[in-house]
Amino acid sequence: MNAVLPMPHRFSDRRRLFLFLMAAPAVVYVAAIGLWPLSQGIWYSFYRYNLLRPARTRFVGLQNYVDIFTDEATRTAILNTFQFTIFSVGLQLIFGFCLALLLWRDSRFNRAVLAFLLVPSTITPLVVGLIFKALLGADYGMIGYFLSEAGIGPRTGLLTDASTALWVLILIDCWEWTPLMTLILLAGLKALPADLLEAGTVDGATAWQRFRLLVLPLMLPSIFLALTLRTMDAFRVFDSVFVTTGGGPNDATNTLMMLGVKEGLQFFNVGYASAVGNVTLLFIALIATVLLLVVRRADVRINGR
Amino acid sequence: MSRVSRRRILAERTVVLVATLLFLLPVCWLIATAYKPSNQIFTVPPRLTFEPTLDQFRQALALFDVVSLVRSSLVISLGTTLLSLLLGVPSGYALARSKARFATGFAYFFLAIRMIPAIAALIPFYLLMRDIGLLGSWWAVIVFNTMLNCAFVTWMMFSYFKSLPPDMEEAALTDGCTLIGAFLRVALPSVRSGIIACALFCMMFSWNDFLHPMFLTTLDSKPISVALLTAYGTKDITWGTLGALAHFSTIPIVLMALFMNRYFVQGATNGVQ
Repeated sequence: MNAVLPMPHRFSDRRRLFLFLMAAPAVVYVAAIGLWPLSQGIWYSFYRYNLLRPARTRFVGLQNYVDIFTDEATRTAILNTFQFTIFSVGLQLIFGFCLALLLWRDSRFNRAVLAFLLVPSTITPLVVGLIFKALLGADYGMIGYFLSEAGIGPRTGLLTDASTALWVLILIDCWEWTPLMTLILLAGLKALPADLLEAGTVDGATAWQRFRLLVLPLMLPSIFLALTLRTMDAFRVFDSVFVTTGGGPNDATNTLMMLGVKEGLQFFNVGYASAVGNVTLLFIALIATVLLLVVRRADVRINGR
Repeated sequence: MSRVSRRRILAERTVVLVATLLFLLPVCWLIATAYKPSNQIFTVPPRLTFEPTLDQFRQALALFDVVSLVRSSLVISLGTTLLSLLLGVPSGYALARSKARFATGFAYFFLAIRMIPAIAALIPFYLLMRDIGLLGSWWAVIVFNTMLNCAFVTWMMFSYFKSLPPDMEEAALTDGCTLIGAFLRVALPSVRSGIIACALFCMMFSWNDFLHPMFLTTLDSKPISVALLTAYGTKDITWGTLGALAHFSTIPIVLMALFMNRYFVQGATNGVQ
């Protein structure tokens, strides 16, 4: 190493060089494999570029982006993605918080339950889609058959009807990810200062008052962080949609990722798909910024820093 | 919390148990289909009882080269995990110990990388792999997934090392230990559980991933997740066979998550705070 790099004499310089060399491989790797393709994607997005007709490639400026916001099908995909994200994350937060409160007391029973509760979040998302596709079929499905016999939902099954399919996908996502939400919120609950909660009990506050005035404000940072993480993932939903409905019927469950993958890797419409990918990225960055700002403000209000 | 009545605990536990069952039953159903004869999986009306059989497994093993599929999944997820840890742990350490002001900003940059929608980078990456002839190999998937996962590991390890006071390393350095020695022999052992948690998350991510290998691998290199999709799209493959095949894809990861639950919980906690 001495031969390659002149060894600095001062210890602080040597340490700085050491830390730099430790971080460099990962930074270079992410830049080469992540940022480089991303920037190429931005480049492609200004072209009409189809792999099947490479000869007809031409520069179209912002036309792909204009198309995204004017095309009926794409607009549906954007709205669907937002509807999916807002409702699935919202429901997960409610269910997850309830479960976390129920599991708060530390006992062997609760620890064991938590371990099994996490199964839906660990299995392959593709398999989750397959399971519900089979269960919800109106003709043979364990759930779908009885729903349809009871006259609930459309005759063809909940996943094949445009009015219900997206809501079913939202519920499937809740089934899959509520356990993880529970886990994150439970970790936040367990980190709460015990003496403060004790004081609430002594003051004779009711359970609801304790929750509303003590637990909820203290939990705000955890809640927003959990929301941020889950929102990012929900916005990129692909696996379960792909296998259950494939975006159908009639684009009723098309999401941005679904659209991008279909355009890019099935129709080889690289230019348009890149634009869709970039718009998705932009939306995610926007949501993340807003959520992080909210977290910081909540933090300032509660902890005064 | 000590004066909670027995009846209330019982009520709470009942609710929790019912909820857990709701979360487990669909998985149990899929597992069960693998032991049902084909004509008893979907009946009108659906019923709960069946005569157990291993036919579906025989069918799955006859139609699919399960060994090669599982091997692909293993190679891809182990390769990704190993590379991600090798790249991510040192950089997480460096960012946590650096006194430079931009270090924390850099850590957030790595977190942001983990959040990019795959499609934005996957298409150019696909074309790149095609041009250099790596398309269809395990390497293509490993290289791409390592990019996402090493960023995540960097972020996780950054927060683990941040919460580890540097006093011990300082003491070792004063005693004549080298900088690398202080990292390898003092800092690393103290964050062992963090590294295990990272490894667990990388394994789960790559094992469960199917979008990337679906486009980056071919028939001979595809992992079990992609095979499941192909199987699902094939007309003459029954749900029972699919259930049997799903065993190989879900059971390993569920067992891993159950046995290493402590690290799973710890990792999820640490990723947040």
